[in-house]
Amino acid sequence: MIIEVKNLKKTYEGKVPTHALKNINFNIKKGEFIALMGRSGSGKSTLLHQLGLLDRPSAGKIMIDGTNLMSFSKEQGSKFRLEKLGYVFQSYALLPELTALESVYLPLMLSNIDKKIYIKTASEMLKKVGLGNKLHNLPRELSGGEQQRVAIARALVNNPIILFADEPTANLDSESSKVILELFKKLNKEINQTIIMVTHEPDDKKYVDRVIWLKDGEIQEED
Amino acid sequence: MNIKTAFFLAFTSLKRGNKGTLAMTILIMTLAYINIVFISSVFGGIVDAINTQSIDNQYSNIVIEPEIDEKYITNTRAINSIKTIPGVIGVSAHYIDKPFVKYDERKDNKDVKTGNWVLKSIDVADEKKVTKIHEAIVAGSYLEDNDRDQIIIGREVAGNYGGSLRHLSLNVLIGDEIDLSFKNGIKRTYTVKGIFGTKSTSVDQMLFITKKEMESVLNVHNLASEVLIKIEDTGNEDYYINEIRHLGLVHEDIKKWSDLMGFTSSASMSFAMISIILGVIGTIVAGVTIFIIIFVSVVNKRRQIGILKAIGMGDNTIILYFVIQALFYGIVGVILGASFILFVLRPYFMSNPLDFPVGWVSLKVTFDIIRISNISLITAALIGGFFPAYRGAKESILKSIWG
Ligand SMILES: Nc1ncnc2c1ncn2[C@@H]1O[C@H](COP(=O)(O)OP(=O)(O)OP(=O)(O)O)[C@@H](O)[C@H]1O
Ligand SMILES: [Mg+2]
Repeated sequence: MIIEVKNLKKTYEGKVPTHALKNINFNIKKGEFIALMGRSGSGKSTLLHQLGLLDRPSAGKIMIDGTNLMSFSKEQGSKFRLEKLGYVFQSYALLPELTALESVYLPLMLSNIDKKIYIKTASEMLKKVGLGNKLHNLPRELSGGEQQRVAIARALVNNPIILFADEPTANLDSESSKVILELFKKLNKEINQTIIMVTHEPDDKKYVDRVIWLKDGEIQEED
Repeated sequence: MNIKTAFFLAFTSLKRGNKGTLAMTILIMTLAYINIVFISSVFGGIVDAINTQSIDNQYSNIVIEPEIDEKYITNTRAINSIKTIPGVIGVSAHYIDKPFVKYDERKDNKDVKTGNWVLKSIDVADEKKVTKIHEAIVAGSYLEDNDRDQIIIGREVAGNYGGSLRHLSLNVLIGDEIDLSFKNGIKRTYTVKGIFGTKSTSVDQMLFITKKEMESVLNVHNLASEVLIKIEDTGNEDYYINEIRHLGLVHEDIKKWSDLMGFTSSASMSFAMISIILGVIGTIVAGVTIFIIIFVSVVNKRRQIGILKAIGMGDNTIILYFVIQALFYGIVGVILGASFILFVLRPYFMSNPLDFPVGWVSLKVTFDIIRISNISLITAALIGGFFPAYRGAKESILKSIWG
């Protein structure tokens, strides 16, 4: 199992506490392509944030690749995110001042990889997502779909064991969305990339191995 | 902390960020720096002018006065040996009297102007090596060794050449005759040969006659009421005082010019205080400016900070990313500011010194001022940059990204 989740709870404290995740249990195997679906407010993003170490659960246990995420200090978490996890956010979370190539090699630079190697690796990764001819474009010189592909290349460049994506196609037209989903499918098939993707689109089901349904912070059914 | 990545991001931001903001920030830093250095340097220049004035016209470097309760310095042999000390440029012995001075313009005992001023006698050749009063003649000419009934007077005594105490003056011109009654009762009449105007009011209230003339009035020979000594290396007076003591002038009162300055040295202290206060304010303003600029940048880049953290960049690297930018502003400000001061302002004021009542003032840019200003501005940038960066970097990832 690459991910094991046990009795996971997340409550947002406030005047009226929100029990965003109530009691979540599931496992994901290496190489699975999972869709996380459910109505708005059902807790999809919250769950992804807990799995991806962007937030701390209120209770429960998450094991990734045999490591208990709860045991991490802040610095260890940071290192784990850099080396083992990749994210794609809903709106293309790129730094406006970095070119496509720079955005993609940033995680490699952070991992103290040699300059020659990181430029080569990042260029190859951009070629893989179909942007071999846009290496030196800034985000404002790229379309939304292209920006999202840069974000995907950045998420993958460190060979993460899991790729997380929170509604990666929500801001894209159907054509660009298709390109992204096909890309995910390809990565999943070719390099056995584990992917967990939040989506609203019922049609997306056809790309994935399995759907985890959430309702009011609980897993409703899996198929 | 990944220093390389922090530098990479900082310089990409500077390179590709808003050029207007960058130029404005650097301009503010440069001005803040110039402000700090300029004020200290002007005050330094004023203090220097006061000091130069006192050395050139009043005290020279070292002043020897008689021992307590003595009227004259009597160890003539020792005084004569002072000029053999290597580094001594000149030695000038003065007699001092404070005569009652009278000017009766129409010689009818009506409308007579009088006053008490300090009269000193000089050996003309010796005096020229020690003070620069001979360069400050504004009318007539300087004394010569054989002058007997000639006198030169300061403009405050004369009254017609731009002094500030005109109402107390004799209102005389070159060639007028004035009557002096010495303390020992002797009365003599002198013709005004020259009028001098230094930038020191107290010097301009003096009168000078030749040594020969004074010795005949006082009926003394080869003594001195005070001896002025000019040395090669101003600042090294203590060494020479020690040498002079060894010549046998043990009980005489020997002082350096700075000990004699009294009022003016307290004025220098005030200038030093003012420039410190203004320097501190200038530094704080620079620090606050950097704080605001980095704060705005951190607020604008909040989401980017969240993303950087999400992809695994540590808090310290993010702090460094902003601090490097702040340091860049500070360092460029220092370089531009220092260049402007050294290559534009200083040469300008060298050739166009300011005419202050105390003398010609130009900028005195010392290594100390430059060093302290460099450290202050860069420290201000460091601190001003650190706090907003720290706050931004410590926010949780989700808050940074989604607010
Ligand atoms: N930071 C927060 N503070 C308080 N409550 C929150 C916070 N984030 C989410 N919630 C609440 O937690 C619940 C789950 O939110 P979440 O964002 O996980 O839903 P979602 O399934 O991703 O919805 P959507 O499809 O609209 O993105 C919602 O009721 C939401 O209001
Ligand atoms: Mg969501």
